Parts: sequence; structure tokens; C-alpha cells
Amino acid sequence: MIKRIKKINYTSWLFILPAILVIVSLLLYPVLSSVVYSFTSKHLTRPVSTFVGLQNYKKILADEQFYKAFFMSIKWTVASIGGQVILGFILAMLLNSIKIGKKMFRVLLIVPWAFPVVVIAVIWKFLLNGVYGFIPTMLVNLGLTDTLPQFLSSGTLVFPTILFVNLWFGTPMIMVNILSALQTIPEEQYEAAKMDGASTWQTFVSVTIPHISKVVGLLVILRTIWVFTNFDMVYLLTGGGPANVTMTLPIYAYKMGWGLKLLGKSSAITIIMLIFLLIVCSIYFYYSDKKEKENV
Amino acid sequence: MRKLFKKKMLVWGFALLASIFLISACGGKDKKDEATVDGELNGEITFWHSFTQGPRMESIQKSAEDFEKEHPGVKIKIESFSWDDFYQKWTTGLASNNVPDMSTALPNHVVEMIDSGAVVPLNDLIDSIGRNRFSEMSIGEGHVDGNDYSIPLYSHAQVMWIRKDLLEENNLEIPETWDEFAKAAEILTKDGVYGASFPTGSNDFLGTRYLNYYVRSHGESLLTDDLKANITSDAAIEGIKFWVDIYEKASPKDSISYNVLDQATLYYQGKTAFDFNSGFQIAGVEANSPDLLEYIDAAPIPKVNKDDEELGIETANIPMVVWENSEHPEVCKAFIEYLFEKDRYIEFLSATPVGMLPSLNDISEEPAYKENKIVKQFSHAEKVISDAVAKGTAIGYEHGPSVQAGLLVSQGIIESMFQDIITNDVQVEKAAKAAEEELNEIFSSVEQ
Repeated sequence: MIKRIKKINYTSWLFILPAILVIVSLLLYPVLSSVVYSFTSKHLTRPVSTFVGLQNYKKILADEQFYKAFFMSIKWTVASIGGQVILGFILAMLLNSIKIGKKMFRVLLIVPWAFPVVVIAVIWKFLLNGVYGFIPTMLVNLGLTDTLPQFLSSGTLVFPTILFVNLWFGTPMIMVNILSALQTIPEEQYEAAKMDGASTWQTFVSVTIPHISKVVGLLVILRTIWVFTNFDMVYLLTGGGPANVTMTLPIYAYKMGWGLKLLGKSSAITIIMLIFLLIVCSIYFYYSDKKEKENV
Repeated sequence: MRKLFKKKMLVWGFALLASIFLISACGGKDKKDEATVDGELNGEITFWHSFTQGPRMESIQKSAEDFEKEHPGVKIKIESFSWDDFYQKWTTGLASNNVPDMSTALPNHVVEMIDSGAVVPLNDLIDSIGRNRFSEMSIGEGHVDGNDYSIPLYSHAQVMWIRKDLLEENNLEIPETWDEFAKAAEILTKDGVYGASFPTGSNDFLGTRYLNYYVRSHGESLLTDDLKANITSDAAIEGIKFWVDIYEKASPKDSISYNVLDQATLYYQGKTAFDFNSGFQIAGVEANSPDLLEYIDAAPIPKVNKDDEELGIETANIPMVVWENSEHPEVCKAFIEYLFEKDRYIEFLSATPVGMLPSLNDISEEPAYKENKIVKQFSHAEKVISDAVAKGTAIGYEHGPSVQAGLLVSQGIIESMFQDIITNDVQVEKAAKAAEEELNEIFSSVEQ
């Protein structure tokens, strides 16, 4: 035991300890404070708050708006990730197969990712404006519609519209990652499959898919977390409206905390989101590990 | 073994000290400064204001620089935010102890600030400038328990803005009643122009504001005498139906998500025939469509019947406050008093003529104020607005300043109600009842 202690280099620990403390504090403080607030009557502008036990959770779980926002978040996440993966995969396959201009297309297609979300949201909002927006005016001028389409204020058009913007924004990232995975597949494996008489579909299922499945899986789980907790894109485009049609959980939590100033309840919403995402991630990693063991 | 233990303790102790030093170095304001040194003002103050437009910002910046020159020990750090950001900034700032020394505010913010114990009384400052120079009503908006917590910097009121050319082309008179307004708005909705836009984005309070126009013109209020929400009164129900009808017949459909700037921009660009706003419309039209400037004018907000008494609807006395957290309240008060010096104050008001009306009664009679080109050109509009300023109050302040009045406009509940009626075809009475209950539930949380 003494022998082991002697091997530890205290001086190095001494030097990095302050940095560790700062980093751990920065990581843990927001999470822990949310957990603590969720059990209190914490109000944004009031200095005193009291312990209320599970009261905030009970109220949130009894609120009809919470369930609407929760299902909206799931719909938004599933539609966004599904669309992004399918489109990203198709684009990656196309880019992988072309011989000329691959680099140029790759750069062009990644452009949406080079802009901050706030810029993208403002530009799209301007383009889709129902009075002087370029896209509605163009559709009228082309004779495709008699009246200016209200992309961001119609209850039926607003979700497909923000979904389209999110697909436009998120697909390039998926595409680049899948493309990188495709380029790591050894050419010999395709040659071997060809020599064995495998059809294109068989080659795709037996060679391509196994090589990219891990990358796609990780992308799906990471993007699920990002999109489910995404606030800026939806908020900047619609503010959760009209009539709360596009209200997701992060917007619901924001309005509870910064609109109603009920930080306790707002924290309870974020903790419920955290628990939900932890469950989703656990299920993913369980099946991922299981599959890996089976392959071994 | 003991030596090793000692060494370990020394190392861990040192690490702990280093960490505490590092963390403590990250925050904390130097509290050594004194407000006065040998009778001379001294200290650095942070001033948050909402004057994001060029001339007003420049005017305030110049005043700060002049003040610093006169008081070399003073440093004024200015930060400006739009009103939307401003509300969020101070509420979150209060939670994290990160508020300025002094700031502008909206009347409804002030009540919340007082309720949170965030601002200090300014009785001495108001007395020093001259209490009788301000209108009683404007001072009263920050008056709680014998103390005045805010000082009005300028005033404006909501009036109806018209396009004289469009009315003339269509042989229409300036509408005096809501019925006339609705008919005219419908007639004027053609050739790429909307009669009137009805804005009800839930990130702003315009739906509440528009409903308040209608309800106040009936002599009623959106709050009851015992400060409960009053959205289901006959006047309110009629008002909701009125504005939904205007939305259907004369408004761009996108206005369901409009905030104040979206709404005003339509009028600035000549896309709406009528609008409701303050004298700031003039500067907006001047900047966006100078050719339209000669065709715009202000008129009183419509009434129920032509011969009804003209009631004040919505007045805003934009105040300044000094924050409780300030280490130099004396510097803040001296700087505010400096802003009210006659020539300086007139120069500030001339940054947005007619948009900012003087909160000091005597200034409007000063030749330097009256000689401004825009003030002269829009003398009729200025009179309409001045009359409205004298009669109106902030939304919900008919019963005096209250937190409920602040919550009425800050929660977006009336806006969501309108959106629900328009988007989901919810019955007006049902939606109004739900909104009223929601507001009362929020009110009850502050009463506890």
C-alpha cells in the first residue's frame, strides 16, 4: 500500500488541482443548482425561496401544456433526426460516388453549418415573411398560389416549415460524418464481394452498412440530445407559436423560468428532460454493447 | 510515516489555498471606492439604457462624457439593450447579483423592481429637480409607501396613426369610432396595403395593448378594482371579437406573431393605412420612407360613440431608477440631475422629436424645444399625443401601480389567447375565461 502511495506524483496533482476544481465546478454547478432549485420555490427576482419537496414535479406533471410540449419535442426530434440521417446518407453516397468536384461540393454543402443559428433563423424568417418575404412572393409570382403563404403563422404550415429549416441546417453535418466513414471502407472488401458474386444490394447491406453503422449510431444519439434540447432554432423562428403549436420542452422551460420567473418549476422541467435523455442514451448504449458483443 | 503525512497535508493545504485564491479572483467588485472624496464625486457606475437608436444613444453618450469631464473621479460605463432584452437582462441579473448602478425602465418594470426590493427611493432627487415640474401622475407611477422609486425621463402616449393620402383617395374621414375604424380598415385593404395590422406575437404585449385600447375606450379596465384579471367583461369579450375580426378582414396573417418592431415596420414602409403607436412613428417613417412623411398624422384612439368623452388610454412615462446594489447612488443621482439640465434635456428630446415628450412641464414652452423642425411640422400630432399623455395611464395602472399590472403585460397570456382563437378556432368566451384564470393564478402566486 505504502509502495503505491509513494509512486503518486503529488507535485503534478498539486498543479492541476485548481484547474480540476474549476472545471468540475463549472460542469457540476449548473446541474446541481437545477436539481436543488427543482425542489424549491425559487423565483427569478426574489431572494428568498423555500423547500417544497416534489411540489414542482407534481404541478408540472399535472400540466396539460407539459405533455403537449413533450410530444412536440419528440415529434420535432424524430422528424429532424430521421430526415437528416436519410438525406445525409443519400448526399454522402452521391458525393462518395462522384469523381470530379467532390471537395467543392463537400465545402458547399457544409456551408449552413458555418453560420450561427441566430443568423440562419433571422435570414429564414425574413425569406418566409408573410408580407414581404422572398419565398411567399415568388410563389405568388409563379402562379403557384393566389395568396401569400403564411409559413410561420399558419397552424398547419409552421411545423413542416421549421422542420425544413432544421433539415437544411443539420443534414450537412450528418453527411460529412457518413462520408468520412464511407471513405474508410477498404476497397478490397468491395472487390472481394464482387468476386463472390454479391449483388449491389448485398454489397451495400453486408459491406457498407456494417462499416458505417457505428458512426450513424453515435451521430443519431448525439443529434438526438442536441435536437431534443435545441432551443434557439425554434424559438427564433416561431417563439413556440402560433398558439403554442411549436412549443417544445426547452421553450416551455424557458417561458416558465424567464416569463413566469418560476425557476423552481423551470428547473423541474429540465431535470425531467435530463432523466428522459439519460434513459434514451442508456437504451442506446445497452443495445450498442449487446450488438458489439454478439459481433465479437 | 508522520513526515509523509505532514508533507501530504502541506501539499493539499497549499492546493486548497490556490484553488480558493483562483476562484475568489474570478468575481467580486472592488468595494474600496468612495462616492465622494473631499466633496468631489468619485466612482465608476454602470448605466443600462434602452436607447438603441443612434441620436438618442449619442446624446446620452455625450452627456456621460461631459459629466466625466466635469467630475474627473467619475467613470460612467454605458450598456444599451432593446426593451425585450432589457427585461430579461435585469430579471436574470437580479438573480445573479449582476445589475447596474442606474438604468432606464418601463413603468411596469418599476413595480416589479420595487416588489423585489431592487431599487432605491429617489425622493431627494425629485425634490432637487423640482417636484412641481413633473406631472403628479408620472411621479405617481413609481410611488409606493410614501417613496418615489423612479423619475420620469420622458413621456409618450398611444394614439392612432393614419395615412391622410389613402383616406383622401378613398373619400374617407378620420375614424372617430371603432365601427368607423373597422369599415375604413376593410376598405383600405387593397393594392398591397393592409387597412390595419393586428399584432399578437406572444413574445411581446401588443395583443394586450390593442385589447386595452378597446376596453379603456369603454371606460373599463383589464384589471378589476381588487386587481384580478378582467378579460371576460362585456367590453373585453366585444374587444376580443373586434380585433379577431380586424385580423380576418384587414390584417396580414403573419401579424399573429408580430412584436412591436414588426408591427411598426409595416407602417414605416407604407404597408398599413392605420397603426397605433406613439410619436416614435415619425422617426421610423422618416428613416424608412421619407416620401411618406407628409402624409402621416396622429389622431385620437377611436371611441365607442362619437359624442363619448375623450378618455386617456395608454400613457408611458419612461422612468429612470437607481439600483439598490449600487455602491455610488450619489453619483447616479447627480448624473440624472445633470441629464435634466435645460439645454441638455432639450437636446436629448430633439433626438426623437415628438417621440419623446418632456416630462418636465415647463420645457414644452421653451422656444428651443418648440423651434425644432419636426415639432413644428407635426404640431397637430404633438397636441394629440400631449392630450393623450395627460389623460392616460400605463396598462392596468388605472388602479395605481401594481405587480398585477406588470404581470398582465409580461406573460404573453392574452397574446396566446388571441392565437388560440385565431389558429385553433377556440370559442372567444372559452378562451377569455381560460386566459383570465391563468392570469389570476399567476397573480395569486405574487400575493402569497
